[in-house]
Amino acid sequence: MHSADDALPLSHREAGLPTPLVGMLLFIASEVMFFGGLFATYFNARAIHVGEWRPPSSAPELEILPIALPITIVLLASSFTMQFGVWAIRRGDQRAMRNWTLLTLVLGVAFLLGQVYDYTQLGFGISDGAFGTVFYTLTGFHGAHVFGGAVGLTILVARARQGQFSRQNHVAVEAISIYWHFVDVVWIALFSTLYFLR
Amino acid sequence: MLPLIALTAACGMVPPEPHTDQAKEIFWLYNVILVMGGIVFVAVEGFIVYSIFRYRRRDDRLPTQVHGNSLVELIWTAIPTVIVLILFVLSTVTLNSISARSDHPGVTIDVEGKQWSWVFHYLDADADPTNDVMVSGGALDPPVMALPVGEPVLLRLRSNDVIHSFFVPAFLVKTDVVPTGDRPPNELEFTVSEAGTYSGQCAEFCGDLHARMTFSVQAMPRTDFDAWLAVMRPTQTPAPSLPEGSAVLKVSADNSTFDTHELTAPAEEAFGIEFTNDEAVAHNVAIYQRGEPIFNGAYFTGPGTTIYVIDALPAGDYTFICDVHPVPDMTGTLTVR
Amino acid sequence: MATTTLSPTAKGYRRSWVIEWLTTVDHKKIGILYIVNAFLFFFAAGILALVVRSELAIPGLQFLDERTYNQAFTMHGTIMIFLFVVPVLSGFANYIVPLQLGAPDMAFPRINALSFWFLPAGGLLIFSGYLFGGAAAEGWTLYAPLSNGTYATGVGTDLWLIGLLLVGTASILGAVNFIATIFKMRAPGMTLFRMPILVWTVLVTATLILLATPVLAAGMIALFIDRNYGGSFFDPNAGGNPVLWQHLFWFFGHPEVYIVILPAMGVVSEILPVFTRRPLFGYRAFVYATIAIGLLSFSVWAHHMFTTGQVFLPFFSFMTALIAIPTGVKMFNWLATLWRGSITFATPMLFALGFLSMFLIGGISGVMLSAPPVDFHLQDTYFVVAHLHYVFFGGSVFGVFAATYYWFPKMTGRRLNERLGKVHFWLHFIGFNLAFFPQHILGIQGMPRRVSDYSPDAGWTILNLVSTAGAFMIAVSILPFLVNLVATFINGEQVGDDPWEGNTLEWATSSPPPPYNFDKLPPIRSERPVFDLRHRHDAEHLAADLTVPEGGHS
Repeated sequence: MHSADDALPLSHREAGLPTPLVGMLLFIASEVMFFGGLFATYFNARAIHVGEWRPPSSAPELEILPIALPITIVLLASSFTMQFGVWAIRRGDQRAMRNWTLLTLVLGVAFLLGQVYDYTQLGFGISDGAFGTVFYTLTGFHGAHVFGGAVGLTILVARARQGQFSRQNHVAVEAISIYWHFVDVVWIALFSTLYFLR
Repeated sequence: MLPLIALTAACGMVPPEPHTDQAKEIFWLYNVILVMGGIVFVAVEGFIVYSIFRYRRRDDRLPTQVHGNSLVELIWTAIPTVIVLILFVLSTVTLNSISARSDHPGVTIDVEGKQWSWVFHYLDADADPTNDVMVSGGALDPPVMALPVGEPVLLRLRSNDVIHSFFVPAFLVKTDVVPTGDRPPNELEFTVSEAGTYSGQCAEFCGDLHARMTFSVQAMPRTDFDAWLAVMRPTQTPAPSLPEGSAVLKVSADNSTFDTHELTAPAEEAFGIEFTNDEAVAHNVAIYQRGEPIFNGAYFTGPGTTIYVIDALPAGDYTFICDVHPVPDMTGTLTVR
Repeated sequence: MATTTLSPTAKGYRRSWVIEWLTTVDHKKIGILYIVNAFLFFFAAGILALVVRSELAIPGLQFLDERTYNQAFTMHGTIMIFLFVVPVLSGFANYIVPLQLGAPDMAFPRINALSFWFLPAGGLLIFSGYLFGGAAAEGWTLYAPLSNGTYATGVGTDLWLIGLLLVGTASILGAVNFIATIFKMRAPGMTLFRMPILVWTVLVTATLILLATPVLAAGMIALFIDRNYGGSFFDPNAGGNPVLWQHLFWFFGHPEVYIVILPAMGVVSEILPVFTRRPLFGYRAFVYATIAIGLLSFSVWAHHMFTTGQVFLPFFSFMTALIAIPTGVKMFNWLATLWRGSITFATPMLFALGFLSMFLIGGISGVMLSAPPVDFHLQDTYFVVAHLHYVFFGGSVFGVFAATYYWFPKMTGRRLNERLGKVHFWLHFIGFNLAFFPQHILGIQGMPRRVSDYSPDAGWTILNLVSTAGAFMIAVSILPFLVNLVATFINGEQVGDDPWEGNTLEWATSSPPPPYNFDKLPPIRSERPVFDLRHRHDAEHLAADLTVPEGGHS
């Protein structure tokens, strides 16, 4: 990874990971624990429940079609587009990075819209017993994190528009991309738990 | 060892005299750990005090700069490890012993803890709860749990509101009373070893009157216990009815507050109190005079209405109060004339 | 812009001190803000403690009703832990760690400032419950279902939750900052095993904060959802589990107590070598013990839940017993530092020695509680209250006062008066033991905790009276401390770079340091660069340097 001080003599260069990346990785560690706590509530509720673990009987079972699987594919795709953007700026191609990041943002927003639409189709709410509570809390906080990532992506696009990134100087892109991949990984865990593990 | 225990007992560092079989084992374990802790304390604290005097700065010479010593460090890691493992083994052996369950408990009691009173429901062999002994009581008249000595007692600890804890210091044990909904409740089993009266108290903070959620346990020989059960067992006598034309006072309760704090009743004749409880919290109406109980109505959880029938009272000033919540909002004056 | 040499005292450089302090991103000023803010909350929570102890002195409710009493002890615990002891140690860490690393500031100075300002905001939110119908009153542990919407009505608990979410976020951001700083901003020559012990303890503490606090956040959000959005996380009548709250809370809560004690252990490990003129014995082992404690702290949480009947007792009892081993190793390291030392007794050293004695007692009572059968008797009694005060107060707060007296000269250029310091220490030490030792006995005899009153027939009256007297003595001991602060600010003894003959880099710059911290750094070849510099010509020192194990002096 190229950093801003390639031109400096070896003894003056920053060694190892750039500090903002260290900060982002640490922050993500705390987020892993946060989602860990939420997952713990899911598994505890599931372990102690009496009867079938599913949405309230007045609502249908959770199904991966027509919404959950498509939005998963959308979010997965957005990780790919994000990474293409990172590779682009590592080559110095700011314009391509901007476009890939914009596409990532669009896909991320599409995921959010799909999630909100799914909420309207589910037939149960957060106050409908333990299942409803943990379902909406987990997916809701994940969605909130996607939203936060979308804000970050918007800032990246805006900064790229102003020409602020280069081959040597783009640590913000690396940092946000790591955050975006994290949000995707959480979704894969969540999706698998809710729809496959059950 | 014994004089040392006697000394610490005199200082109050030893638990109360244990009065169940299980408590005696806990008492023994406690003393072993206390002695171990005491030895560590004397040794370490002694060293600190010794160093303070022995190694006071006397001149400007730099003392020997010792950074470490692998052998010493290994030893003082290994020895605590061994001590800690011994402690763990002793603790686990004791735990297994006191957690053992008998096949046939001498008595099984369904204990309900609620804000802020206890209900002891003695389960008998038949499935009919209406002929079971139920003892209830709160802050002003703590309930008494009678038990037979020398037989295993099984308590099922239920709550429908918040978490409480059933604690008897003389038994060196407490178990939380957790609202578990449909899932099985916590259980506690012990065998009382000596007859006597032992105080108990809720030990998990449960709200405003947590400090007053007391009870006591009265252990007695089996024959006495059977006699007590017979006396306590509800008979089929009909509820006392109010004579035609008697005065009926009206009181209602909500948010742990009576709607009136002044009542008047006629002297020298039975009267009724129609008590409407608007909330799903246990209340009652009780009457006291100068601290002496005159009438304690049955606890009643709403929403609903019940009628208490009070025998004729001489003229005078009385206090009416809720036994569960003896707070100003649930206190009033009853004038009988 | 004209090219001029920048001088911190040049006329055009100054700005209003109010704006300066409100907008500063200098870790030294932020550290002082943390410390001052924390002490203000300390006094508030201390007054609440006096309120509690006054009511408990004799049986009967003399001053308060039950509800007010319950708010008082809830707020006392909450404020002391979240708004005093952790922030004040954060403040010292903020000030001292970059200096000890030879760094010019923290890795993320603006986030550093943000982290600080969340604290008074969160604290005021928590306290504001008093203005809106009553503060939270369910104990600082806020157990469900007592803390849900049915039983804890009113917004006090909600304000507590939101305030604490702010405080927790600040902690997490601070932890990111400390870890990044420690890994990325050490001066050349400072390998990890040449870092001062305080930096190591701060590193492990920050890791604990980073990983444990989010779980508390998850739990608090879940409770907020139960209270306000009809959620059923903890409602047993809708498929929820009240004990789940305890798991989430204590999974954070246990690492939290190590977050509270480790930096204080670091402080003591800085002070003992200076005032005994010996290196910390077993530096490497101490580092490994600290890391071990950090790791183990995540595996013991359910020892707070032994009586719930829903916990696998042998596992948690075993792990809890294990954690006594690295803690014991540290104690032995400190004792071996004293051994054959050349000890002087300035006030920082008095508080450090007090820490050793008091933490020892707290550690022993903790080991007693680790055995489930014994815990069945002692849980939720005053024995636990005694234990937690011996470790939090006898441990961490003694460490805080040690740090205050030790680094006050560095921060202000003036040394606090020794005589007043000794008066403070002795009143504090005696008052503390009077207040809390009897509470062991009260708990052993069966007095439960969190009670607003107790029976006159229980035989607990005298010990409660003694405990209350001790509490007031502690309060009185604060007076010489405050007088000392004021008098020293006005006209205290002025000192130079290194008034205590310290070992670590903060003593290699002026008191107080310039904004950029160092003009020049001494060579860093061990964990005591300033000691090495002072003794570089000292042949006796070189001869006396006997046992240097392989790599021990790195």
